[in-house]
Amino acid sequence: MNTYEWLLTFHITAAFFYVGAAVAASILYVLAITSSKPSDAALYLRLIRRVLPLMFVGIAGTLIFGIWLWHNAGYGIGAGWIWAALVLWVVAGFFGQRGGEHQEKARVMAEQHAAAGDLPNDELRAMLRDPVGTAMSYAAGVALLAILVLMIWKPGQ
Amino acid sequence: MIAAIRPGAWNFPLFLHVLGVMWLFGAVLAALVLARAGRSRAAFSSLLVAVPGWVVGFAGANWIASKEHLENSNATWINIGHVALDFGVVLLLAALGVSFWWKRSGKARAGQITAALCSIYLLLLAIAWLAMSGKWS
Repeated sequence: MNTYEWLLTFHITAAFFYVGAAVAASILYVLAITSSKPSDAALYLRLIRRVLPLMFVGIAGTLIFGIWLWHNAGYGIGAGWIWAALVLWVVAGFFGQRGGEHQEKARVMAEQHAAAGDLPNDELRAMLRDPVGTAMSYAAGVALLAILVLMIWKPGQ
Repeated sequence: MIAAIRPGAWNFPLFLHVLGVMWLFGAVLAALVLARAGRSRAAFSSLLVAVPGWVVGFAGANWIASKEHLENSNATWINIGHVALDFGVVLLLAALGVSFWWKRSGKARAGQITAALCSIYLLLLAIAWLAMSGKWS
């Protein structure tokens, strides 16, 4: 394998880690939203932390190996699809972090309600289904999907 | 510069293939985390979510292979990809079956088997994407 193929392999591996961990976190969040007991919601929200290391490796790896590939493959500095992907990478990170902060607040609330009798609670349900917090996570997912589209179609290339 | 010479008509099937397999990887990862946490019902649900990912990934793989005229190729990376999807569905269905049994019986052993099957499948998928992105020959 030549340098280009190695870099592409690491870049794609990082992308699998990033998107795969995002899918896993989404499934765990949906399980938390649909839980009737606060203790179940708290557990699913805690489990999201287990996939975060993989996501962080993916976030860093896609950027590092992506920029290295940009240089190695000889794409010009004016390659618009790469700049667009970089902007979307920042957007995905921003909204992903905001969505994660909202999930962390929900986890703390779920832990408190679990310790105080573990009964279904409207306040927790409202927090888990908060449209702004949920929209942040959706926005991060849409940005990731858009990056994948750009990476495959390479518009303007 | 493989990407630069790829015809535009190959893009959509490739997109479906990559999207489906990433979805599959994420859902099996969630099932592994849930199985290790002892959540039988949630692990089963997560494996159910993995099935459409496998279908889209498999359909995309066959579509792109036909476009590239690689149906009868014996290249290592193609063969590894076939194993990951063709044998992989057996692993996925086995994990689904065992997690269903776990959900019904509550036996801890079934949870351990579910976690093991998910781990094996994740490893197989990782080998496949490494082989396919590096075009192992």
